[in-house]
Amino acid sequence: MPQIFTLSQTPVTCHSFSADRSQIAVSLNNNDAQILSRQGNEWVSTVTLSEHDKLITSIDWAPNSNRIVTCSQDRNAYVWQEQPDPETGRLVWKPTLVLLRINRAATNVRWSPKEDKFAVASGARAIAICSFDPENNWWVSKLLKKPIRSTVLSVDWHPNNVLLAAGSADMKARVFSAYIKEVDERPAPTVWGSKLPFNTICGEYTSPAGGWVHTVGFSPSGDVLAFASHDSSINIVYPGGPVVYNIRMSSLPLVSLTWTSEDTIVAAGHDCRPLVFSGSEAGWQEAGTLDDASGKSPDSRSGFGGSSVGRLKAGAFATFRDADSRGQSSSGSAATDTKLSTIHQNTITTVRPYEYRGSNITRVSTSGVDGMLVIWDVNAVSALSSRLGAAHLR
Amino acid sequence: MDSFRKIDIDQYDEDVLQDSELYDADPRDPAEVLEDARQRAGAVRGLLARNDIAGALTIILDNAPYGPNVDEAKNLTLTTLLTILNTTKSTEITGVIKSLPLDAQDTLMKYLYKGMAMPGWGDISGSVLLGWHEKLTEVAGVGCIVRTMTDRRIV
Repeated sequence: MPQIFTLSQTPVTCHSFSADRSQIAVSLNNNDAQILSRQGNEWVSTVTLSEHDKLITSIDWAPNSNRIVTCSQDRNAYVWQEQPDPETGRLVWKPTLVLLRINRAATNVRWSPKEDKFAVASGARAIAICSFDPENNWWVSKLLKKPIRSTVLSVDWHPNNVLLAAGSADMKARVFSAYIKEVDERPAPTVWGSKLPFNTICGEYTSPAGGWVHTVGFSPSGDVLAFASHDSSINIVYPGGPVVYNIRMSSLPLVSLTWTSEDTIVAAGHDCRPLVFSGSEAGWQEAGTLDDASGKSPDSRSGFGGSSVGRLKAGAFATFRDADSRGQSSSGSAATDTKLSTIHQNTITTVRPYEYRGSNITRVSTSGVDGMLVIWDVNAVSALSSRLGAAHLR
Repeated sequence: MDSFRKIDIDQYDEDVLQDSELYDADPRDPAEVLEDARQRAGAVRGLLARNDIAGALTIILDNAPYGPNVDEAKNLTLTTLLTILNTTKSTEITGVIKSLPLDAQDTLMKYLYKGMAMPGWGDISGSVLLGWHEKLTEVAGVGCIVRTMTDRRIV
């Protein structure tokens, strides 16, 4: 059974767990990052990280070095480190400013696997690759610019700490080299290439029906790339051929994905439920969903799915028709229609690994616009046909 | 007062993103595209005479004209398509749609929206278009509508 928590009445813009999963850093759709601690079945706010002046768009908590990086629409990023306060001796989170040198909002941030660099995607058609400069005691950035033509929406690191995948609003997913001379050793050759100076383009892939690329992800080995775009499709790229598998979905677009093993991906988005895709170099398909409604009675998911006329007539349409013809305001049965049959009641904005077993991931966490945090068992896949998504017309 | 909203600010941006950068252009020459559309219109008439709706739709939806400078071919294709839609019995629609490949389903959805957007067409063929739209959405889902909205290869 998935574990369900309601974190707030506001959207959860992003979330990131601490290494032991006892704490979570979230942006509740504002300019403060909150650290919540788990107490039984509740998450209680313990620390507020206030430094940004605009909405925090992304947070990443490094598991080994225990540092948090936040980035925001105010075009800044901060690295937060737990240090003893000089007066009281208590541990407090101290921010360090990062010199991003971008003139538009920062949209997404991720630590590299070795946690000595991080990448900040931005609306300035650039990705800032940041590394620590001990002489000046701050984080400096180097910009990946070419050939990005629009806002970068997501980034993901290759396990070799050098290659970076980026998804962008110019309908393309790209693989870059983010090699920093001062930090990185010369990387071993991979399927993506062997000579990798900074800003080498190792791959460029277009979404087939022209959607913004919302999310990108390397497989655990780093040899395969997946990206999902706003044309309601997910693409899996094997760079050798290159072979690109495109899966068109009948539901709404995905906005976040994570690989759970070399042959499975969990992805979620506007359809409000996590989908599972599985396959290999021979082909990929939709395997099902993690959101199984078996725990709910059929009555509780009235409205759409059940009737053949579909959700539009049963839900909003009925509300307005009743208001018009009978003077009824929405109450009674109409109120139950506004509850979706999925666990998440609005778009899922983040899917992240939660629990590892070896190199595979056994549980993932999702958070979304409904303010909920849900932890799912990735092996509890149920068939799609038995279950209709939030926005399926039937 | 709102006149500033009409200023084309992109002209001051040296690095502006052009439409042509967002999709791969049709490699064919516009005249060639038009000639192709004419031939297909003929082939569709032949197939309709034999009542082969699925075959006619497959021909007209495959490699449909898109992009700039092919307006005549686009309009010809739309009118030909509408002939097919109008001659199909409403009980046959779902079966025909299911027999189409995914690409053709997406292209069909683009034409349905184009048809609905034509000024004055709503009175003549609105109910036919809406009937097809409902049945196509049942088969291909809302994802198909999303792709119609995102795809820059406008038919």
